[in-house]
Amino acid sequence: MITLAKVRPVTAAASSDADLISAHAAGDPYAFSELVKRHRDRMWAVALRTLRDPEEAADALQEAFISAFRAASSFRAESQVTTWLHRIVVNACLDRMRRRQTRPTVPLPEAGPGEPVAPRDAMSDRETSLMVQQALMELPEEQRAPIVLVDVEGYSVAETAKLLGIAEGTVKSRCARGRAKLAKVLGHLRNRIADANVPADGVNVQEQRQWEGR
Amino acid sequence: MTGMERVPMGPPWSVDLIADLHAGVLPPEVAAQLRPRVEADPDAREVLQALDATLVDLRSLPSVPMPDHVAARIDAALAAEARPGIAPVVSLNDARKRRNRRLGMGGAGVLVAAAAAFGIVLAVSPGAQQPPANEAAPAPTTSSTSANAAPPLALSEAELGSAVGEVLKAQNYGPLETPDRLSGCLKGGGITSSGNPLGISPINLDGKNAVMAILPAGLGQFRLVVLDPATCGPDKPEGVLADTTIKR
Repeated sequence: MITLAKVRPVTAAASSDADLISAHAAGDPYAFSELVKRHRDRMWAVALRTLRDPEEAADALQEAFISAFRAASSFRAESQVTTWLHRIVVNACLDRMRRRQTRPTVPLPEAGPGEPVAPRDAMSDRETSLMVQQALMELPEEQRAPIVLVDVEGYSVAETAKLLGIAEGTVKSRCARGRAKLAKVLGHLRNRIADANVPADGVNVQEQRQWEGR
Repeated sequence: MTGMERVPMGPPWSVDLIADLHAGVLPPEVAAQLRPRVEADPDAREVLQALDATLVDLRSLPSVPMPDHVAARIDAALAAEARPGIAPVVSLNDARKRRNRRLGMGGAGVLVAAAAAFGIVLAVSPGAQQPPANEAAPAPTTSSTSANAAPPLALSEAELGSAVGEVLKAQNYGPLETPDRLSGCLKGGGITSSGNPLGISPINLDGKNAVMAILPAGLGQFRLVVLDPATCGPDKPEGVLADTTIKR
């Protein structure tokens, strides 16, 4: 009798994501599940870090994967499967963000500039990660999404601009604003410099607007 | 307008301006003039280092595993998406029975079954947005329609899984000829299955004639059975060459 081990690996052994998409389009009933299995943690991280709320992230991912399942037959090999999936996931997240635009953004904590939650050198890696994660969550959504894609996920500015549907200059400037805030919250800026130099939100806005979109 | 006149070329510079320089926001000609000055200023250099350290923090964030309950929920949603009974297609079994009653089984039966199988393909294929199968529509001419005439899929044991997609498109009992024969062979292997196979097709397994059937096996599951038509039958378990449940 032929066992599962002899049958199952055909899909699992598919050499590339594109093979799995093709197999799915050809009717392989578990090719898409295998694809989801491969990428779900990364997509989860993107959704969670973009939306902050686990329930919303789960809803967005479910929508995204169903959408991808249905659209897989139209996938074109010129784009990478991961980029294609990312685009669908990011779009699902952005839709949700737009729908909740009326909700207030959680402000940054009122710790003094350059005053980290705890001394950095006393923290374990895990504590540091939690602190960075928390700081990221507190960024405004318009800054958090490009920072998640560029700085956490490693996408290029150009790719991120396409994913988010904004100009490359806007991606750069939003990343710059977000990084400056994070540097302050994470304690990388000394008090003196931060006190002297970190302007309130809105300063340089005119200057900024002229450069955005370049 | 170059932006140059808006950028102070001497300290102190705002953190935001240095962050712009760091992120490549500034026009190249402005950045080229500003960068050496910023790097020569100890306070500004510290800001650049702070931004670099922030990037290191962000890039060092560990992956976030999807919680099991979320993974299970998404798996279930995808399985439901692929299930013929849930996809926006007619009840295929009912349609098949109605067609069989109207046209009768026998010579035309295979063609009718193949037409019904095409409906199944619509249900399990991605992008199943096609309209519901129409009983009045002519039987589509798919590869499964001519499956009887085509040589069976030649497979090795290791390739069985790769044939699932093709077999799902077919409703060709091959040497088993009838659903009753199939039922008898399944019974011999102790396999109970409600409903018709999702797909069935003769295959050539390592040079030997066989029949592969894909049976429904509950939510998000399929049962792949390979039968030897020469030996299978009620009380003949040796006729079952392969039997495995595949979870999505």
